[in-house]
Amino acid sequence: MYARRAAQLLQELSTCDEGQLPPYNSDKFDQVIRECEEHSKQFQSLIREKNEKNLDIEAKNEDHYGSFIHHLSLIRNKRCLMAYVYKRAEVIQSYRWKVGRVLPKEIHDKLNFSEQEYFKNHCAVIDSYTKDLDLDLTVDVIPPKDPYIRVRVLSEIGEVSLGDHSVSLSKDSLHSLRRTDAEPVISQGLMEEFME
Amino acid sequence: MESWEEEGSVSGSGLGAGTDVELVRQAWRNEKAAPEILPFEEALVRRLREQIQLQEERAEELKSEGMEDVVVSLHHMDSDRALFLLKSYLRLRLHKIEKHLFFYSSHTHLFARLSPEEQLFCNSCVDIMTQHLKQSVLNKLPQHYQSVTRQSTSSEDDDMVDSPQLDTFVFCKTKTDVGAFQLDDTGEEIVDLVVDDLYVLRYKSIRGLVESGQINLI
Repeated sequence: MYARRAAQLLQELSTCDEGQLPPYNSDKFDQVIRECEEHSKQFQSLIREKNEKNLDIEAKNEDHYGSFIHHLSLIRNKRCLMAYVYKRAEVIQSYRWKVGRVLPKEIHDKLNFSEQEYFKNHCAVIDSYTKDLDLDLTVDVIPPKDPYIRVRVLSEIGEVSLGDHSVSLSKDSLHSLRRTDAEPVISQGLMEEFME
Repeated sequence: MESWEEEGSVSGSGLGAGTDVELVRQAWRNEKAAPEILPFEEALVRRLREQIQLQEERAEELKSEGMEDVVVSLHHMDSDRALFLLKSYLRLRLHKIEKHLFFYSSHTHLFARLSPEEQLFCNSCVDIMTQHLKQSVLNKLPQHYQSVTRQSTSSEDDDMVDSPQLDTFVFCKTKTDVGAFQLDDTGEEIVDLVVDDLYVLRYKSIRGLVESGQINLI
């Protein structure tokens, strides 16, 4: 059946949990591309045959309908391929908000080259928006319950001055800090929120 | 007890009773419930940012005056919450733009609803997405099928562009008496919209009322 492989490609994506990605299936993707080329070739040869028979342009013989089916199959394949890449790109850009600017290796390995590039570009676009606005939108994702949070220091930071006093942030110590002071350090991975 | 009430009036002049916070909250609710992007509340956002700034300064002042920690922290709390609301509002809008990139960039009346920064964001996103789609798919397809927005060269309009679902149902509350309101084009379905009442309607039919501020989404 025409366009079945393209549908399988999308099925792979839709059986994945929300926000997860299967590895980029370049084998199947290239097969669908080859299918498209085949459709295009068939389409053109049918049109040629029709023209050679020297029929009226309006005439709808078997060649006309045959070529139409190749045209429609090609469009369906195109829509599936575009949906595949677009849907993946949507998941990829959501990582900027959930994971941050640097992707963990297991996610990074699932992307193809163009997708890795897309992620980098998309991060840059968000960065330039937040810079124009002078507001970092990627922090404060959860409504604040308390202006202070309890944090555990993950690696030796040393003496840091916060507002009017300085704190010594040594490894594994617990502190209660202003959320706004702590969040940049947390996203750098130097400390974590401490939950009891 | 006495001092608490006093404090209440202090924060009342700040963000507590701030109608702007209430207004942003409503704008945020509308934005969250509406399937399409709404006009950017530029003046409101600017005012709120100024107020947050003032509130922060006020908190620092109180601290240096030796005010109790709990009071200072209440002030911080208040501005943190307002800041969260503001960021959440802006984030919501970015996500909406990201979702229907090509649609917003090609419809001028909707594109005009974005702030200048958002317009820049939208255009850059369109650029990088187009580049990505071309690189991964379109350049590999036969010649007449390489357009991002059209299925093939024989398409007459942009039949590859996904648009927001305006048919979806929304919960809404009327702010003023609208009276008999026509829900469809044929005039067969008419509903009487009374002030402060709750309705579940198709977004498409009340779209105009949301924009003119006669109805709030919840």
